[in-house]
Amino acid sequence: MSAKKPESRNESSWRLLPCQALRAGENMAIDETVFRLNRTEGLPPTLRFFGWNPPAVSLGYFQKPFQEIHVDFCRREGIDIVRRPTGGKAVLHEHELTYSLVAAIDHPLFTADILETYRVISACIVEALNRLGLAPEMVSQGRSAAGTPLEGYCFAAPSKYELLVKGRKICGSAQVRGGGTFLQHGSLLIDIDPVRAAAAMGIEAASISRSTTTLREQLGRHIESEELARILRGAFEDTLGIHLAEAVLTGPEEALKQELLAEKYGTDRWNLEGKSIPDEDRPLTEG
Amino acid sequence: MAGFQEDLFYSREHTWVRVDGNVATVGVSDYAQEKLGELYSVELPASDAEVEQDEPFGVIESSKSVAELISPVSGEVISVNEDIVDDIGVINSDPYGAGWLIMVELRDLDELNNLLDAEEYRDYVGEEAGIEE
Repeated sequence: MSAKKPESRNESSWRLLPCQALRAGENMAIDETVFRLNRTEGLPPTLRFFGWNPPAVSLGYFQKPFQEIHVDFCRREGIDIVRRPTGGKAVLHEHELTYSLVAAIDHPLFTADILETYRVISACIVEALNRLGLAPEMVSQGRSAAGTPLEGYCFAAPSKYELLVKGRKICGSAQVRGGGTFLQHGSLLIDIDPVRAAAAMGIEAASISRSTTTLREQLGRHIESEELARILRGAFEDTLGIHLAEAVLTGPEEALKQELLAEKYGTDRWNLEGKSIPDEDRPLTEG
Repeated sequence: MAGFQEDLFYSREHTWVRVDGNVATVGVSDYAQEKLGELYSVELPASDAEVEQDEPFGVIESSKSVAELISPVSGEVISVNEDIVDDIGVINSDPYGAGWLIMVELRDLDELNNLLDAEEYRDYVGEEAGIEE
């Protein structure tokens, strides 16, 4: 099944938000905002490439930080900790580029099938990696690190349609769906310090080196985030047959972003405890 | 192939509703659990919480995605299925029975008119699935 291309690029103009390196809380506030308001504000699909300053560990929606990462190490090293609205496992965002993509779940390019959205987006990343001279493999059968010491780490095992280079994972992804819209996050590794990443994750450095690879390792050179974002932009446009129009958040989006930053992503209550609502309404949680 | 139960109401956000007097039992449809795949985690409101039609009332995580649970009805949550905390897989294996999520004391029975019957939901799902071809 191949991605269906629209009749002309002009009919399919998407938004491209600025490529910036922001604090973890602001990054997640922007992405949830775009996800929440996409349908209600009648906005087109929206893509963003971004970095993290200072470095941060992002957790999947249901993860338990005190069990699955080394919270004290992160605090000592000035590494932010943020809980994503998307699922999946923990990522250290330090030498990598993150993307977020928001679109309607019934958008003709994606269909309502969850795995199909992963496949279509992975095809764009494959194209970008091809342009860099790499030959990534899209995983046809996902694997799991559940039950191993690495189970909380995103790059420990590839899910279906995630990308490997020479058998090791280079790009991880996760998704949330609701209100007729999906938000997908992905992290493409530029480089890694396995000792530092392992310390942040509370796992062994050797296991990271075995499971994970980076653009620096595969290309034999460093690539700047800006160059990578430019290549990815072209790969998304050409693979999907779309035009990415540079844009900034709308007024309502900016207002919701500020609210989410103040009340959710800027708080330990959400980031460490997973609670965004008052104690008396505390949900029953399993996982 | 997803199953549909004739005696239920369904929402376009893929929840089902079984009505008994003014109490609604709510769960996710067989189609939805099949789409989501193996379920890992669920977050549900506490008893006494208020839920609103078309507003999120919980979150469910599968091997593929996190998905918001959108309430098909409005009212007060009077019971939460605590058994699924121990065995969330029952939502996959018995979505219309032991895999129910919450019971809600309905605030407005007229809201049920906004929901689909089994035949309408089957058509709705068929259209959605058709996009994939």
